[in-house]
Amino acid sequence: MTQAPVLKVENLQTRFKSVQRGKFVHAVDDVSIELYPGEIVGLVGESGCGKSTLGRTIVGLEKASSGRVLLDGVDLSALSGAALRDSRRALQYVFQDPYSSLNDRQTVGEAIDEALVIAGTRSPEERDRRTKELLDQVGLASAVRDRHTRELSGGQRQRVAIARSLAVNPRVLICDEPVSALDLSIRAQVMNLFLRLQKDLGVACLFIAHDLALVRQAASRVYVMYLGRIVEHGSSKELYDRPSHPYSQMLLASAPEVDPRIEKHRRGPLMIGEVPSPTNPPSGCRFRTRCPLAVDDCAKALPPSRVLSPGHTAACTFAADLHRGNRTALVQQEMSAP
Amino acid sequence: MHDEPLLEVRNLTVNLLTAKSAVRPVDGVSYSVRQGECLAIVGESGSGKTVMNFAPLGLMPTGVTTMLSGSVKLEGRELIGLPEAEIQKLRGKSVGFIFQDPMSALNPVRRIGRQIAEMAELHLDVTPRAAEARALELVKLVGISDPVARLRQYPHELSGGLRQRIVIAIALAGEPKLLIADEPTTALDVTVQAQILRLLKDVQRRLNMAMVLITHDMGVVAGAADNIVVMYAARAAECGPVDKVLVSPRHPYTQGLINAIPRREDPIGSEFRGLPGIPPTLGAPIKGCALAPRCELAVPACSNSRPPLVRSDDSAVLVACPVVNQGKAAA
Repeated sequence: MTQAPVLKVENLQTRFKSVQRGKFVHAVDDVSIELYPGEIVGLVGESGCGKSTLGRTIVGLEKASSGRVLLDGVDLSALSGAALRDSRRALQYVFQDPYSSLNDRQTVGEAIDEALVIAGTRSPEERDRRTKELLDQVGLASAVRDRHTRELSGGQRQRVAIARSLAVNPRVLICDEPVSALDLSIRAQVMNLFLRLQKDLGVACLFIAHDLALVRQAASRVYVMYLGRIVEHGSSKELYDRPSHPYSQMLLASAPEVDPRIEKHRRGPLMIGEVPSPTNPPSGCRFRTRCPLAVDDCAKALPPSRVLSPGHTAACTFAADLHRGNRTALVQQEMSAP
Repeated sequence: MHDEPLLEVRNLTVNLLTAKSAVRPVDGVSYSVRQGECLAIVGESGSGKTVMNFAPLGLMPTGVTTMLSGSVKLEGRELIGLPEAEIQKLRGKSVGFIFQDPMSALNPVRRIGRQIAEMAELHLDVTPRAAEARALELVKLVGISDPVARLRQYPHELSGGLRQRIVIAIALAGEPKLLIADEPTTALDVTVQAQILRLLKDVQRRLNMAMVLITHDMGVVAGAADNIVVMYAARAAECGPVDKVLVSPRHPYTQGLINAIPRREDPIGSEFRGLPGIPPTLGAPIKGCALAPRCELAVPACSNSRPPLVRSDDSAVLVACPVVNQGKAAA
């Protein structure tokens, strides 16, 4: 891509003090990602891998321990006061649960108006016009404007939350599981809204989700995160067709099939156990404790990121073999206890 | 296999009365589960799938008056009209429960071992020592490593997947004949979900139990269930063997749900398929078909009367859609 990235995250680290004295939880550990204007980028991983913390650190809801977040090339940590507020406005967050992210006592109109006031839109006429425009953009009838947010369904509430985020004309939306609280039949409607916003407004979206199939269809590129680190990154096509990190391979293979003719005969590999504690992450490769391919060397040092094809990287010693298909992490395993 | 179903539900209707409102979350639903079988009940939130299973067993929030009609027979015994004291004896004994959120299903201030043993003591009439031994057996059964040490731990020391295994162990402690699992994997990661589903299926087969799997996720149905009931707005839309219903869904709602799942062959960046509109809110029973406002096939007749469940050509599947069933007699 020849364009400059709208959002660039460089070697970002977010640590939390652990309850164990003197120890830290390395929620985000040396993560670098890029977002270009008008693209949807997926960020996937199991719960506890740090994907939400990464999103929250980018918008400033958590403080980074080190590393930089650059918006249009400007380092946000170098800014303060009004300049920081102005820049931050371009970064908006859409939360998972539209039942807790909206004020039940506000009407839809008030909720959106509030966002416009904060955005600095002074004239009431202008705010009124923008509210109408925003409702239209997120596909809500203007009649809902006078209804309280508590009267709305989950899908409608999420639309209101998105309208609030859009009120400040953001460049980047960080969407943290924006449809997982919604019913299946409603999800598609909200997903299509994101696709349309990306096309019509050119907003870049970092789409944090655990639903791999959903991400594949929506995102042009995907980052796979495990225990605070990005383990694989590539275009959706490459990553889903040729996953080249053992973790990505196993994560993709875990998703169940709907067709019973396939699912009943699938005695596929099961991921062993669960994500280890980020307070005491395994030495070397973080995934080695669950990896069927792990060898002694994996415990010694972090595997470097290997470039497999333009734009496709994986942090595994065996990435090249996995990419070529000479090797696979999907070996038959017995169900084992964690 | 016995001919008599272990659980037989006929024309169950549940009315809930609160101080302010009356709703009917379940409206004339019938299904049955045999020993050794797994039935999946699939529906969106508010479709009545949970109330339908919990209300007859007295598991409803306080402050709600529950009115049941129809018939719910467990091992030939009618549950509706049974006094609460009798129902209480069934809960945990004949019927084991697995809830969605393992953290809130466990007591945070008691050790794991005690929580499992308590159930064995209560329902199997054994000494505390024998119950402890049973707890150890159960923890091994649900595939937990280092079982002796785990029994001494508290719920907060365990991961989500391990906690759900403990909840399953507790559900199995009374040696139930029927296991009701309400969204047992919804709170878990996809990798852990696969482990828990396989465990559930495994214990269900080994102990030859009947299982009711309540879920909103079509993805977990195929590997675990033999039969399926698809619920929409308090009623059954379609039911039949999983191999038939998931492979060639007949009801427009089932079709829509399955169609809404993204597939590998969908182009990247393409529109997501879904159903238009939103599900109806619970309230007064709907006169016609509840899906009619969202249905592409809908004809004016759909809104006139409630569509009956009709047996399809291969007689295994029942569908409640007047358009699909045109010219067929009601089952």
